[in-house]
Amino acid sequence: MLLDIVVSGLISGSMFALLAIGFSLIFGVARIVNIAHTAFYMVAAYCIFFFTQRMGLGSIISMLLAIVMVICLGLLTYRFFIEPIREHEAAVLIGTIALAIAMQEVMLLIFTGDFLSVPSLVGGFFSIMNVKIFYQQLLTFGAVVAVLLALWLMLMKTRLGLAIRCMAEDREVANLMGINERLVAMATMGISVGLAAFTGAVVVPLTIVNPFMWMEPLIIMMAVVVLGGLGSLKGSFLGAYILGFTEALVVFLIPKGAFLKGSVALSIMILVLILRPEGLFGIAFEEER
Amino acid sequence: MLLEVLHMSVFYDKAMLLNDVNLGVDEGELVSLVGPNGAGKSTLLRAITGLVARDREISKRSTGGEVILKGKIRFAGEEIQGVPAYQIVKRGLVHCPERRRPFREMAVRDNLLAGAYLKRDRVAKASDLEKVYTLFPVLKGRSSQVAGTLSGGEQQMLAIGRALMTEPKLLCIDEPSTGLAPILRKEVFTKIKEVSLLGITVLLVEQEVSAVFEMASRNYVLSSGRIIAEGTAESLLKDEVIRKTYLGL
Ligand SMILES: Nc1ncnc2c1ncn2[C@@H]1O[C@H](COP(=O)(O)OP(=O)(O)OP(=O)(O)O)[C@@H](O)[C@H]1O
Ligand SMILES: [Mg+2]
Repeated sequence: MLLDIVVSGLISGSMFALLAIGFSLIFGVARIVNIAHTAFYMVAAYCIFFFTQRMGLGSIISMLLAIVMVICLGLLTYRFFIEPIREHEAAVLIGTIALAIAMQEVMLLIFTGDFLSVPSLVGGFFSIMNVKIFYQQLLTFGAVVAVLLALWLMLMKTRLGLAIRCMAEDREVANLMGINERLVAMATMGISVGLAAFTGAVVVPLTIVNPFMWMEPLIIMMAVVVLGGLGSLKGSFLGAYILGFTEALVVFLIPKGAFLKGSVALSIMILVLILRPEGLFGIAFEEER
Repeated sequence: MLLEVLHMSVFYDKAMLLNDVNLGVDEGELVSLVGPNGAGKSTLLRAITGLVARDREISKRSTGGEVILKGKIRFAGEEIQGVPAYQIVKRGLVHCPERRRPFREMAVRDNLLAGAYLKRDRVAKASDLEKVYTLFPVLKGRSSQVAGTLSGGEQQMLAIGRALMTEPKLLCIDEPSTGLAPILRKEVFTKIKEVSLLGITVLLVEQEVSAVFEMASRNYVLSSGRIIAEGTAESLLKDEVIRKTYLGL
């Protein structure tokens, strides 16, 4: 039981972390609330399905192709659709909701609403203390940790990372340092949807692919971001694991808890909004431009 | 003239913040800009370094009020009123903003490196970092500390150090002494004098009139968006009206 909870909590926590960090990143840098974030994750999952099942390509190649394609899609929609309305918060909100629904409808047209699935990259499992741990779960977890580590190194050690951190704190002063905010925002959007695509890619063997698969993670991601504090990467990271473990606890400890799974995120979101609206590490919105 | 501002007017949402301002700074000078609260001093610096133009671009794409910027800015012989803020830095016209505005969650060292963002040469970066640490030894001891935890005085040193990392020809500093204890104010002014002695031209906005008048070679007095007087400290202090109404001395 304990091990079940740990495994489940770590894996879903890592997924939530990837999604929430990508979402927070573009919010921090460009103040864009990208509701379509998880729709990119859905598109990536479909890409993988298409490449592996319909075209018969290998899993790794398919993953890379899917990520590249989704990044391109993300950059194009950013450049021609989001950037022109960027300074208009309500428009961004409505626009990205529309974007997500548009992507959903396109997938519905191409692939119909059928539930699709992609087989595991690696089969088999091993057991510790009577708990089955599938190699696919292990692989997913490993890949997620590797990507999170790479992201951290990028932020802390590279020039782009420095620019991203400056922009997230003070866009105006970032300009005074010679940072081209349009370029950095664009690059961040690429990284952000790239993370969403990667999440879609690693999650595919563990889930069911369908055009509505972006909604549930969207709600969870929102809950994580609210819990961690909007715009805080550290908060998103911690919040994701807190939520992941809470979900696992509910599922394994409460009888028929699996039915309650969906309400965990919403309950946490509502509780945080009532008790501590700024979240764990929320930024205070001072006058800032 | 290194910097020339000609007939500059700025409107935010129909309010006139600057009204036909003319100002010039010669190479090597330390010029002060003083005036009462709300006179438009910060707005003038923001207009010079491209931040008002940035506000204008943002206002065009949002529902915020309209921003209008008129007039010419000439820096090192070139007109720069159309150049975006992030490119103005490259030319050596640098702005150390009001309220210091360090990157609070970043380490002191990373704050300074942010100033060296445009420099790609690692060796040059490292040697510039050492130069700043020599000028501000307090920062060296705190290089891995997060900037938000520094004291006000230290944050001001950091803000100036960060601006110096961009290798300015002209450094515009906005109210560096505000909110600091008297001893720290003195130290900040001493450091600014040192910066000036390094050969960097300085345009200094201050409330502490008597202190800056001692340092500056020339001074401008701004009130309600207009330059109402200009000259050496002696000539300005001789004028009873200016001294009493605008300088509060
Ligand atoms: N974005 C804005 N929109 C409208 N009015 C503004 C804006 N920014 C500043 N103002 C107004 O413009 C006037 C000049 O502001 P500014 O900050 O330039 O003054 P200042 O001389 O720097 O004052 P202080 O000594 O208090 O720093 C003030 O009356 C201020 O309220
Ligand atoms: Mg001011």
